[in-house]
Amino acid sequence: MRITQRAIATTSLQGLNRNLEAIGKLQEQLTSGKTINKPSDDPTGTNAAMQTRQELAGATQYARNISDGLGALNTTDSTLQNMIAQVHTVRDRTLTGMNTGGMSEAARAAVAAEVSGLRESLLGLANTVVQGHPIFGGVTSGTRAYDPATGGYVGFRPPVGPLENTVMVNRQVSESDSIRVDITGQEAFGVTSAAGVVPATRDLFAIVGDIAAHVVSDPDLLDADLAALDEALNGMLKAATDIGTRTTRMETAKQVNTDLQLTLTSRSADIENVDLAKTIMNLNMQQTGYEAALSATAKAIQPSLLDFLR
Amino acid sequence: MSTFSGLTTANRALWAQQRALDVTGQNIANVNTPGYSRQRAELQSIGGNAVPAMYAVSNQVGQGVDADKVIRIRDAFLEARAQTEGAGTAALTVADDTLAQIEQAFREPGTTGIQAKLTAVYTAWGDVANHPNDQTTDGARTAVLQTTASLVAEVRTTSANLDAQWTRTRDSLDAVEQDVNAKLTSIAELNTAIKRATQAGLPVNELADKRDGLVLELATAIGATSSPGDHGQVNVVVSGATLVSGGQATGLKVLGGLEQASAATDKPRFITDPGGTAVAVAGTAGGKITALTDTIPRYQLQLDGVARKIAAEFNGAHEGGYDKTGAKGQPMFDGGAGTSTTDPVTGAVTVDLTKVTAASLNLRITQPERLAAATVGPGPTSDGSNATKIAQLQNATSGAASSYRQLIVTLGIEASVATSGLATQKVINSQVDASRESVSGVNLDEEMTNMLQFQHAYSAAARLITTIDETLDVLINRTGRVGL
Repeated sequence: MRITQRAIATTSLQGLNRNLEAIGKLQEQLTSGKTINKPSDDPTGTNAAMQTRQELAGATQYARNISDGLGALNTTDSTLQNMIAQVHTVRDRTLTGMNTGGMSEAARAAVAAEVSGLRESLLGLANTVVQGHPIFGGVTSGTRAYDPATGGYVGFRPPVGPLENTVMVNRQVSESDSIRVDITGQEAFGVTSAAGVVPATRDLFAIVGDIAAHVVSDPDLLDADLAALDEALNGMLKAATDIGTRTTRMETAKQVNTDLQLTLTSRSADIENVDLAKTIMNLNMQQTGYEAALSATAKAIQPSLLDFLR
Repeated sequence: MSTFSGLTTANRALWAQQRALDVTGQNIANVNTPGYSRQRAELQSIGGNAVPAMYAVSNQVGQGVDADKVIRIRDAFLEARAQTEGAGTAALTVADDTLAQIEQAFREPGTTGIQAKLTAVYTAWGDVANHPNDQTTDGARTAVLQTTASLVAEVRTTSANLDAQWTRTRDSLDAVEQDVNAKLTSIAELNTAIKRATQAGLPVNELADKRDGLVLELATAIGATSSPGDHGQVNVVVSGATLVSGGQATGLKVLGGLEQASAATDKPRFITDPGGTAVAVAGTAGGKITALTDTIPRYQLQLDGVARKIAAEFNGAHEGGYDKTGAKGQPMFDGGAGTSTTDPVTGAVTVDLTKVTAASLNLRITQPERLAAATVGPGPTSDGSNATKIAQLQNATSGAASSYRQLIVTLGIEASVATSGLATQKVINSQVDASRESVSGVNLDEEMTNMLQFQHAYSAAARLITTIDETLDVLINRTGRVGL
């Protein structure tokens, strides 16, 4: 092949351009810190990067759901524990009231007053509100689960069907898993049946109210009240256990979520972020190549026969 | 054989070497001129009389040298290849450029593109699921409205970017048209000049170089090829349509819609003017036509599909729920005015999804309490399970997020194929260029050597004259003068 000066110049220039382009590309990666700056840099990597970003955003959201859910569960748990302690007190006072032989009228009235006070306190706890929402109210849009005056349940009632049809408040804790974070007043404290329904049932507040009344008026009925109270107490303990179990599930989900976030973050970094050592190394190699090409070009272009003719 | 024929031979030699030296000078002067083909003085020996006539005197020796012709050294086959490869490179460059600009319009992967905005919407719905009934501020619901508005703006901006790119490309076609027509006219004029000069026996090498350079530029611009005509002229052809025939040029004209919408039916195209025959151009113009009729509209269409999917997905889920007031959820998105109808009796709103495009995507819901977070209804509740359902849509296998991702991956693959295709084509092109340069380029070393050769030959011819002069001197001045 016949080689001309212009051909050498053109080829050299092309080579230099290619070298510089490679350096520019590496420089871009180093300064942006990303290996993928546009989809065509790595189409499959782009897909993985976008998917990972989305999963990471999802995982962060699940983490928020979990901590929110844990907050709700913990509040419910401590409220239930408080109430259980108070119900124990009510039980003690009931036993005292059943001791018909050794009590004066005044003592009975005192017990009745104390039990009434405890009922108020229990109702107050049952109306505990978190961020404007009553924790025992189901999905009610109101601010109370129980009417403080009558003690009747005013929270959300399923439109039809038994208690199992209750609308649950759930928190999505992972792509596939959600955990219930509430318990309705009816589930925790029992249901007061409507008039005429057999067998008639009472909820906790009705029982405690009845106890306060019966201590003064008809101590003989206290036996049945005590049995009902024990049943209600059992229900509350069951509810507390239920909440505890769910809290444990939530804690596990939190751990899983933390691990998932870590994995996703590192995967995202693997896909998108620059391997500094490797890139700097490549850049140095490319720079050396570029300098070599420059000096070779300078030497190749210079001489011609002209330099040797007189 | 006359007495002075040796002098004539020497004189011819002097003249021929002088001419060769001139050509060498021209070559050296144009060593860096683009498109210059090196020239060579064609030295030819002049023979003696092959068929002696009666009374002719011939000593059977030739009559010296002749340097009448100066030729351009170039390879027609390589020039044709340069035209083809130049057109290919130009078309691929435009394709690569178009896709790179589309990539810029989408700005993925990143934190400012549609995907990030879409994810923010899903996340906001997740927050609503946690607190659907915030009594005081409705903060989570407001966040949904704001992130959704931002998503809509992003989809519209991306669509507008694609549209602007289309319009820019369409405008540049007019510039191509003017440029091509000017070149066609120049080629025809040069053809005429070359024809006249050839007929008059004048040198046409520089004119031909200039014209061939223009033809090569036309090859890049519209994929033109040339074929040799009479008297050193060339004919320029684009996909079967002859644009320059000798001294006659036929222009090109761009037709087709100036807006992307009108161009869907009235596609941008080139026709001959006059004549009106459709011309399938290649090169830069061909690349731009492909961008206008295929590449950009294709991605616009896919983006419209994503917008439609967003509308369908959110509308479907939203209509399945109840808002804060306990009323049935309404469609979240429509395609602007006139794309939704309200039933006069039930008040139910129906959105014509086929009319939803990326440019017209519109958020219908403006009040936070109208967001349907509950599945329980009618009647107000603090249920957030519909919000959860909407937030979970981000994992749907054929949802908006995944179809958008598919769009980006398709774009990435197409762009990376175009880039590597262009790189390959550039290598081929540079090889062809190198081959052309190898044939037609000026090598200074070679010219120097030639210069020495011609210089020596000139000296030798001069010496011949001196020698003949001395010989004649002996013959004329000294002969017969013995004893004088």
